[in-house]
Amino acid sequence: MDESLQQLEDELKSLRLRGPSPQLVDRLTDELAAETDELTAPVRRYTSATNLGSWKWLGWRTAGVAAALALAAAVTFVAFKPQPPAATESPATLAVNTPVNLTPSTPSANQYQPVAAANVLYEVKDEGVVEIDGGASARQVRARYVDTYTWKNPRKNASLKWTVPRDEIRVLPASYLQN
Amino acid sequence: MEAEHAKDTWKDWFEAYGPKLLLCARQWTRSLADAEDVVQEAFVRYWRHQRQLPGDPQALLVTSIRRAAIDHARRESRRAVREEKADGGLEEREAFFAPQLGEAAERRLEIEAALQRLPGEQREVLVLKIWNELTFEQIAETLGISPNTAASRYRYALAALRKELKPVHHG
Repeated sequence: MDESLQQLEDELKSLRLRGPSPQLVDRLTDELAAETDELTAPVRRYTSATNLGSWKWLGWRTAGVAAALALAAAVTFVAFKPQPPAATESPATLAVNTPVNLTPSTPSANQYQPVAAANVLYEVKDEGVVEIDGGASARQVRARYVDTYTWKNPRKNASLKWTVPRDEIRVLPASYLQN
Repeated sequence: MEAEHAKDTWKDWFEAYGPKLLLCARQWTRSLADAEDVVQEAFVRYWRHQRQLPGDPQALLVTSIRRAAIDHARRESRRAVREEKADGGLEEREAFFAPQLGEAAERRLEIEAALQRLPGEQREVLVLKIWNELTFEQIAETLGISPNTAASRYRYALAALRKELKPVHHG
């Protein structure tokens, strides 16, 4: 970049930007204060799933444990898969397919073990009124998450992280009061 | 105490980044009021739900602002067309920069007018690069273009500004 462009760039950077209006700050204060109130309220419908007090962690713990068990079972199954008779397979091939240290006494020494399961709720959207079975009205609410599961192999100090987006749709029965 | 601490944190954060985000939103909205609505929507969403996400928060917010601006534009399109017909134009934007005194004020107005005359696609890249301090890679991701295109638009924008401002400042 030549000198005159550099000077112009510097001049532009030196300009002071107009700040948000006090009304915008007030509106944000109101909205984020409501959020703070919501966080301290005893009953919450939507909260960050990173909050350990959230009921969603119950579901996530269950899902995390289930995923971990499934992975552990799969790894164990592969590791202990009965091999064909040794006469058909060379020792080198056998070493690749079956870790040498795999003995019943140390089944997890060279395996990936689940170490963390987390999720982040990043959007909640009210999708309006829908009709459910029987013609009743309900509100449909979509919650969008990013789920992350982590496994580690202590021996190799390697880790595996799986991140996946997830939408959760809740249908909440609605009733209308008549005046 | 904790709630007060949280409030201070977002206020501090917004004080530092609010002007940049507002200028960014102005590139994709029709008025200052619309830009503030968009910043409010994006910032609240970020603060409530996206703070924990990895990555540069400034880039995340800029992307969020752009999406909010597009949504806002869709919602407001009918009203905007009516107002445009009634007003005879879209010239309802207000100053991008804080007021200054003396010669600096005149220069600021010239720069602002020159910025307004830039093609929108060049101006948005300039704003994201100069005042939001994003990299060309981040700009490219935000706008859905290649980093080379972002860099080209930036150079074109600076060259156009230099041409416009030359008689006053660079002559």
